[in-house]
Amino acid sequence: MNYAIEVRGLWKTFVSGWPRRRRKEALKGVDLFVPEGAFWGILGPNGAGKTTLLSILSNLLTPEEGEVRVLGMDIRTHAMELCKRINLSSGHANFLWSMTVRENLVYYAMLYGLSGRRRQQRVEDLLYLFDLRDSAKVRFDELSTGMKQKLSLAKAFLNEPDLLLLDEPTVGLDPDVARRVRELIQNQHRERETTILMTTHNMREAETLCEQIAFIKDGTIMACGRPQDLKRNLRLGDTILITFHGTLPVPTIEHMPGVYSVQRTGSSCRILVDDHRERLLQILDLFSSKSVFIDDLRIQESDLEDVFIAFAR
Amino acid sequence: MKMSLLLLRDEVTKAEAFVFKNWIMTRRNVFTLFEILFWPVVGFLSVGLLAEFAAVKQEMRAFILVGVISMGTIQVCQLDVAYVLLYDVWSKAVKHGFIAPVGMRHLFVGSWIVGMARGGAVFSMLMGASYLIFNFDFMVPGVGPLCLFLFGLFLSAATVGILVCILVLIFGNRAEVAAWSLVSLMLLVCGIYYPVTVLPKAVIVLAELIPLTYFLEYFRHFYGFEPIFSYVLVKGYSLAFSYLLLEVFLMKVALRRAKRRGLLLRLSE
Repeated sequence: MNYAIEVRGLWKTFVSGWPRRRRKEALKGVDLFVPEGAFWGILGPNGAGKTTLLSILSNLLTPEEGEVRVLGMDIRTHAMELCKRINLSSGHANFLWSMTVRENLVYYAMLYGLSGRRRQQRVEDLLYLFDLRDSAKVRFDELSTGMKQKLSLAKAFLNEPDLLLLDEPTVGLDPDVARRVRELIQNQHRERETTILMTTHNMREAETLCEQIAFIKDGTIMACGRPQDLKRNLRLGDTILITFHGTLPVPTIEHMPGVYSVQRTGSSCRILVDDHRERLLQILDLFSSKSVFIDDLRIQESDLEDVFIAFAR
Repeated sequence: MKMSLLLLRDEVTKAEAFVFKNWIMTRRNVFTLFEILFWPVVGFLSVGLLAEFAAVKQEMRAFILVGVISMGTIQVCQLDVAYVLLYDVWSKAVKHGFIAPVGMRHLFVGSWIVGMARGGAVFSMLMGASYLIFNFDFMVPGVGPLCLFLFGLFLSAATVGILVCILVLIFGNRAEVAAWSLVSLMLLVCGIYYPVTVLPKAVIVLAELIPLTYFLEYFRHFYGFEPIFSYVLVKGYSLAFSYLLLEVFLMKVALRRAKRRGLLLRLSE
């Protein structure tokens, strides 16, 4: 398998203060392997090291230790070549304040070596794609947060990157704009097969967009995998809430495969299972065979937020 | 052949980006007018009028006016070179520039071109004003020496502007004060208003290390002031080019340090 990102034993320590030095270990031996064309997410609490990791991958920070290969190249020795093929968009983006949206895009297009008609066409395409045409002549400091974010994304697509790093791309956006931004990112990923590594605090966003999630805490990757696998590994499962009348065979249910626990309170019970889609039918069959009648049934699926909380604890 | 043309176009486009940025930001910045018109003109008029009041001799007036006009030109030109980084620092957009595939040469050549345009405008304006108001003719040495002198001023400005950028990459935005203070320090040492011979010996040694000292000596000798140093033009250009090379190296070192310490991220927050 070809990897867009290969990180082995990555350490980064920040030293600040004078004359008394303070040291903060931001990354402690991180390993990460993201396949080409994948859409991965990095989740973790504040200060976990998400932005530090992305900054190292985009060559804004140098690590103390570890090997970092991006698109098959060592980031230390091929920095300039990599700069041409990667790009970064971050939440709360800032650009040159008195330049308009179009001027900002033209400026950054020039930095990526785009000239003449090619540059003009690329800028116009991105203005159209990110719905920025009406704001093209608006100065950056007069834009709304949503428009600033769209400009940040448009800028990130200027060089048609093979690897796109997104640092909380929808932070601070209202739900409608956030949804549209997510659609734009997803479309770009599908159409261009761009490898995307995204940090976010939004669990639903991560669950919707990302094929795999890496949980980072205190500078260490705690777990990595598909959202459903992470839930399974943590035994978070789904909860089936049943209100019934009749005699509930609690020990039998407890011994059924995939059932983690059963709690009975009066005429209701809470059954924790690994996956309700696989277990519900068997449970209903058991209820039926034991003549237990169901008055009400509800299912609570655990989501990535539960996984996040479990890891962050 | 086609490959080298493509590479050349890539280089030109990237340097052009910084011309574009500085030009747009300059156009939209209300303080630009102050930088180009107000401070240089106020400095020029006040010093020129002081010379009138003190009834200094014509050649002394020439000495002072050459100094004050050079000062205004360098200040404006070096600011543009420093602005190439300071605009990003003030906009908190430093990281976007540094993740792009550009080198120091693009950064400084582009901003220096705008600096030379603005500095050239200040120089021309003050040159005309000195002729009209104080009857001082800058064209006495001829076009060639004038161009050599002006280019020397622009090179000196580039060395100061790049030094400001280096300091910003080491000390963060606290160092932006250097953009306005470094030239004032040069004013003291390089003989802007007085010959360097009036300085203490230790300071003369310092003056000898600054290219502007030699460029001023070179231009003033056309007005009857014998240079106290030999080979002034050679020394001025050699020093200026040496400093530029050294500064490009130091800038790379400062950038590596900033990446190690996370300064680029802090400047973007």
